[in-house]
Amino acid sequence: MKIEIRNITKNFGEKEVLRGISFEAESGRAHGLLGRNGAGKTTTIRIIMGVFFQNSGEILVDGKEINRDKLKIGYLPEERGLYPKIRINEQLIYFGMLRGLSKQQAKDASVKWLDRMGMTEYKDKKLETLSKGNQQKIQLAATLLCDPKLIILDEPFSGLDPVNAMLLKDVIKEMIDGGSAVLFSSHQMNYIEEFCRDISILNAGRIAVDGQINEIKRSYPRNTILIYSEKYEHLSAFISKSFSGRIDSVDGSEKDNAVTVKLKNENDKDELLKLLLENKFQLDGFKVKEPSLNDIFVQYTEGGI
Amino acid sequence: MKNFFKILKFEYLNCVRNKAFIIITAFLVCGSFLFSLLPGLIISITQESSDEIQENTEKSIIAVMKCNYDDELVKSEIAPYFPDYDIKITDEDRKTVENKVNNDEYIFAAEIDSPLSLIYITKNNTIYDTNSQLLSQAVKNMYTVTKLSEHGLSQAETDALMNTPVNTQLVSTGTDQTKNYFPVYLLMCILFTAITTYGQLVTQSVVSEKNTRAMELLITCAKPAELMFGKVIGAGLAGLTQLALIFMSVSLSFTYSPKNMIPEEIREFINFPVETLISALIFFILGYFIYAFLLGALASFASKTEDLNGLTTPVLFILIGIYMMLIFMCSGGMVDSTVMIVLSYFPLSAPMAMFVRSTLVDITIWEVAVSVVLQLATIVVFGMLASAIYKIGVLMYGNPPKISEIINMVKKSKNS
Repeated sequence: MKIEIRNITKNFGEKEVLRGISFEAESGRAHGLLGRNGAGKTTTIRIIMGVFFQNSGEILVDGKEINRDKLKIGYLPEERGLYPKIRINEQLIYFGMLRGLSKQQAKDASVKWLDRMGMTEYKDKKLETLSKGNQQKIQLAATLLCDPKLIILDEPFSGLDPVNAMLLKDVIKEMIDGGSAVLFSSHQMNYIEEFCRDISILNAGRIAVDGQINEIKRSYPRNTILIYSEKYEHLSAFISKSFSGRIDSVDGSEKDNAVTVKLKNENDKDELLKLLLENKFQLDGFKVKEPSLNDIFVQYTEGGI
Repeated sequence: MKNFFKILKFEYLNCVRNKAFIIITAFLVCGSFLFSLLPGLIISITQESSDEIQENTEKSIIAVMKCNYDDELVKSEIAPYFPDYDIKITDEDRKTVENKVNNDEYIFAAEIDSPLSLIYITKNNTIYDTNSQLLSQAVKNMYTVTKLSEHGLSQAETDALMNTPVNTQLVSTGTDQTKNYFPVYLLMCILFTAITTYGQLVTQSVVSEKNTRAMELLITCAKPAELMFGKVIGAGLAGLTQLALIFMSVSLSFTYSPKNMIPEEIREFINFPVETLISALIFFILGYFIYAFLLGALASFASKTEDLNGLTTPVLFILIGIYMMLIFMCSGGMVDSTVMIVLSYFPLSAPMAMFVRSTLVDITIWEVAVSVVLQLATIVVFGMLASAIYKIGVLMYGNPPKISEIINMVKKSKNS
């Protein structure tokens, strides 16, 4: 299954919130939707969910206009919330039925997901009696009850402790492996890098950059080299002296025993490695320093809003 | 509307299983059961105690002083107005009589110092004290009897002439307002209370879903119209359940309590004709929907319960204003005035006004039908409008907007 968001625009009164958003998400993959607060992520998600209607553009599923009655969508909103004074089992069944399950299907799904989240013993408790982390797990169960083909997760890891975060990661991986398409919105870049092959960075209602993370990273200059060695000071002095005409800068770092070399020409990296090996330097590592997703995010969104 | 019935059932069960709702319903059911027995209890207790007083104590004394009339005439003319009192003609001076009234030796006193002059002496004068009027009438009778006796008529003949009864029969070609007045007044009061109370069930439901952020998920699972209609009808059914239980409890207390427990006058007083009850039920449903949609839509802009007052007060003020106006119209006997006719067609006032008119005034079925159709049309318009407002409001947090801002938002949302 392929979800295509094509040239979506949205105005709220005079304010242009989305100015031609386009990206794609596919079954068995997670797509990261990034952007600063107010960039238009939640509006995009709400348009996909059918809460708002776009002014122009279209949302296609396998080339046809999206039919939300047929496509099972699981949505974990950024603002978590269920009914605090209603028993967990009861509200899970209610939300399952609202997502199109029969009562029996909703009951079975509730049993299954409470078990998967390790929350079976709480099924007859009111939500308000649970800790925040456990409430988040119930929220995730409510999202996944209907066995969704498209899962939209808005900041899924916020507020989770490392153990619950691990459980959530496992569940998301299972869903991706099971063939669901996941749309993942988060400010925690490490999770985006862990799950998503593709990203779209929104800035002021436009797509600032999108594509595969690897390709985006490879599109940056590859002239900065990281060399790891215990004798990083000696190494740093040697490179400054022996490779001086072909480098812009050399910096040694005690923190990670590494030397960062910025080459004038990225093609010189092989020669630099050859020179170091010929001079019998004991190297722990030699690699091209790629920009982090965080660096890319900041570069594309700084000053945008 | 595939989710409508699921939401309706959920909202209804949510309301009726709510602890506060159960406690209030139990309190109202028990209270109304006891309250319906209360008049009978009070009457039987007061009757017993007054009988005991009558048996155990001497009759109170009315003193009459300085009288120019014959003692027997005075007694015979005053006695019919005060059958439970002894009448004493006294020569005591004014000061002594006043002291005795003050010391409760005399219940009150009258000084008749000339044929048409009366001084009424009492310890505490209250607005309910009609003794002076009764005494005045007795003195007038004494004067008439005395004057007519000068023309040869005996006291008995004069009294017979003055007390000749007139056989009066009432033929009402329309509706007998006196007969229906109390039931209508009571049902109008219940109508007003029910509309405001159950309307606020809707506002509470909307604001709690928004406050707990359950709305973020709900709005993606169901259409705003499904949510709004489900909520309004669910809370309305819960309200009807509560009202039905209260009416059942009252009718049970009337049916199964001993006959002498509830006096016949009170039975007749509260005995609603079935058509009046059905009419009240229909107009409650119409009025509830009109106001519940308005209140629900406005409540969607509240982020927390405290915001509700500011948002819903204008609507509640309109409802209270209409209620007060109707009370004024009813008590002033203007139930068929032009203002009342206008109110009975204006959708915001029609549920209560048309109920009053259709019950107290003889109007054609067409008039009622036109009003009902107008109200139904208003419900459809308000329901659609409320769904549109709700869709905008539930995703807004922070300070609630003003009414004018809400209108602008709805206009913009339609354009965009």
